[in-house]
Amino acid sequence: MSASGSIGGTARREPHAPEATIGRKADYLHAESTLRSWFLTTDHKRIALLYLASITGFFVIGALAAGVVRLALIVPNGAIMANDTYNKAFTIHGVVMVWFFLIPSIPATFGNFLIPLMIGAKDLAFPKLNLTSWYVFMAGALFTLVSVVLGGVDTGWTFYAPLSTAFSNTWVLPALIGVTIVGFSPILTGLNFVVTIHTMRAPGMTWFKLPIFVWAHYATSLIFLLATPVITTALILLIMERAFHIGVFDPAYGGDPVLFQHLFWFYSHPAVYIMVLPGMGVISEIVPAFAQKKLFGYRFVAYASIGLASVTFFVWGHHMFVNGQSDLASLVFSALSFAVAVPSAVKVYNWTATIHKGALRLDTPMLYAMGYIGLFVLGGLTGLYLATLAINQHIHATYFVVAHFHYIMVGGTVLAFLGGLHFWWPKFTGRMYSEPWGRVSALLIFLGFNVTFFPQFILGYLGMPRRYATYPAEFQLLNVLSSAGATILAAGYLFPMLYLVYSLWFGRKAPANPWNAKGLEWETSSPPPTHNFLSPPEVPRIPYDYPIQAQESRDQHG
Amino acid sequence: MSERLADGVGVARAEHFETVAQQREAATLGIWAWLITELLLFSALFLVALITRIQHPEATVAAAKHLKFWIGATNTVVLICSSLTMSMAIEFSRMGWQRAMVRAMLATAALGGLFLVLKGYEYYADWDEHMMPFLSNRPFALAETPAARLFVNLYYVATLLHALHLFTGIALLLGMTWMAAKAGFLSRHQNWIEVYGLYWHFIDLVWILAFPILYVVNR
Repeated sequence: MSASGSIGGTARREPHAPEATIGRKADYLHAESTLRSWFLTTDHKRIALLYLASITGFFVIGALAAGVVRLALIVPNGAIMANDTYNKAFTIHGVVMVWFFLIPSIPATFGNFLIPLMIGAKDLAFPKLNLTSWYVFMAGALFTLVSVVLGGVDTGWTFYAPLSTAFSNTWVLPALIGVTIVGFSPILTGLNFVVTIHTMRAPGMTWFKLPIFVWAHYATSLIFLLATPVITTALILLIMERAFHIGVFDPAYGGDPVLFQHLFWFYSHPAVYIMVLPGMGVISEIVPAFAQKKLFGYRFVAYASIGLASVTFFVWGHHMFVNGQSDLASLVFSALSFAVAVPSAVKVYNWTATIHKGALRLDTPMLYAMGYIGLFVLGGLTGLYLATLAINQHIHATYFVVAHFHYIMVGGTVLAFLGGLHFWWPKFTGRMYSEPWGRVSALLIFLGFNVTFFPQFILGYLGMPRRYATYPAEFQLLNVLSSAGATILAAGYLFPMLYLVYSLWFGRKAPANPWNAKGLEWETSSPPPTHNFLSPPEVPRIPYDYPIQAQESRDQHG
Repeated sequence: MSERLADGVGVARAEHFETVAQQREAATLGIWAWLITELLLFSALFLVALITRIQHPEATVAAAKHLKFWIGATNTVVLICSSLTMSMAIEFSRMGWQRAMVRAMLATAALGGLFLVLKGYEYYADWDEHMMPFLSNRPFALAETPAARLFVNLYYVATLLHALHLFTGIALLLGMTWMAAKAGFLSRHQNWIEVYGLYWHFIDLVWILAFPILYVVNR
């Protein structure tokens, strides 16, 4: 009967009740305030904020480029800008968003900040390496942006050979070198996470007490370690081919351009899960906290993270259905691609079951989480269309694909990122943000996103190819609708940048645990002290020890 | 393992670790994870070289016959010897024989340098034989077979990447030797030697994979 008692709230586990605030001198933000103490810090929390500031900057650059693309597509005949400029705009958008925002976004900021807190450690295993990875990231990213300043790149973010090696007369080489350098940063971050999760857990923090956020980052880190080196090889080969004509991709040098696609997608398909899995981790923290209910099927959600990370290595060929690979290979890759749906669905069902009959509170993080689930389901289901061989022939390289991967990568990463940012903002900064503004921006983003990208499914189905600066006049209405949606979306992105920054100085002081959430990160003050915990944290009896427990006990006793 | 001895062997505990054992475990796991990524960096190249061989056996054998087998074989022996001296350095570090350890590390770096010299000579001989298809002023000796050109290109990328790793490895080793020659090093950072040793063995291992794949198969 103890379970029924917990519903009444009597047996509710009181949080460890740390001090709500600690002395300014003691918290990690104010412990030292010199520029040097920020740029040479080895504190994982400060490094997380360095990443947060830099990826926000890259997000703005990528978003501006997206705005340029949507502006150009308002008219069908390419009258607004030259085709060449258009190509450069969508390339900058893709390169910056994928390599410098989506991939590092959640792992490098939230992962860096939260993993040691969540497992009860003082820091990551290799603090200096952690700082190094930020410098590597910044060096590579800035190097790439040099190519933009010099005149831009027109290859698209995929750098397909032989366009990138022989035919493009833009600044491909600095862009390639920059992206290659950036690639080492997630390898180092992933390595740090894997080692930290293995060796730094607090006594009593067993694998099956780890928050799903940590499981998701463990799975992501495995992809970082196992996939990123292969893209590095591919990019090195591209550089060799473009700079020295030591080629393996261009037929003129005896090479094979399809080989580049194999090497590229062997990384870049798993990279989708680098973007999506951490987002799933964030959602798995937010949903139970705002339903005040234990995460449904904890173990299955954890296994599904590892499952996704494994399956994703075997599906790269679905990017090459129409490039002449054998029918057998296409069949196998198609079947395996369908398998991705299984662990994805496990997660969605478990979140839904967690929400079901929970004590729901629709605060900003939860609004983002609900939006995430909706967009992820739509993105995931349209992925099944693309994995189907016959349908793929029709919609390959059309706006259907563009819409699909924006639903997955923006819906699945950016919404989770913003949800997580609001959820942990009090922990990061010690301040509360404006709840009404938060809700308004969450709704604007959801609305703006759907108005932007849903028309693109229809455009793609009707046959509008991606990456074209001009299109037949009958597609104009849907394109204008899409561009109008992008404007709403832009407003939705702008609001958080304003009210979150405002809250840094004028926000209400945050308590240690404003959401009544579970997890060790809430057992320390907001913001945490430099070494995370003033006294060793008490590891909970079970993960997600929320007042409302599993559905069965409620039905039995209620 | 003792935490810190004035002149003995040990590891100074970093602040964020609870115990030295935890610190050692983290360091070992970290270097193994890094080596896996390094192996994958090379494995894509080796895999492509093997597939090229299977798909175009005659062209690749013709190209492989131009590679200097005896230089490659000598270099294999040189690197295996360097792994031995590196292992000796690790054993000496465990026993606290600092002077012997430093000598073994210098020997390792010297053998690594010898490898690079031999490799450089091999590149010179390739140049001499017109086996550098990317030099437009020296027509490629096997011009009529694109697959041979692909294989040779892979050979250059793989061996250059390996040479780059070896060069970095020697630089790191010399830097560490300079630090390790100072008094008290072994009482604070003995695990650096162990961790570095794994990296050196890895460079050796990559060559041991590259040598048969590039030089020997179907010869």
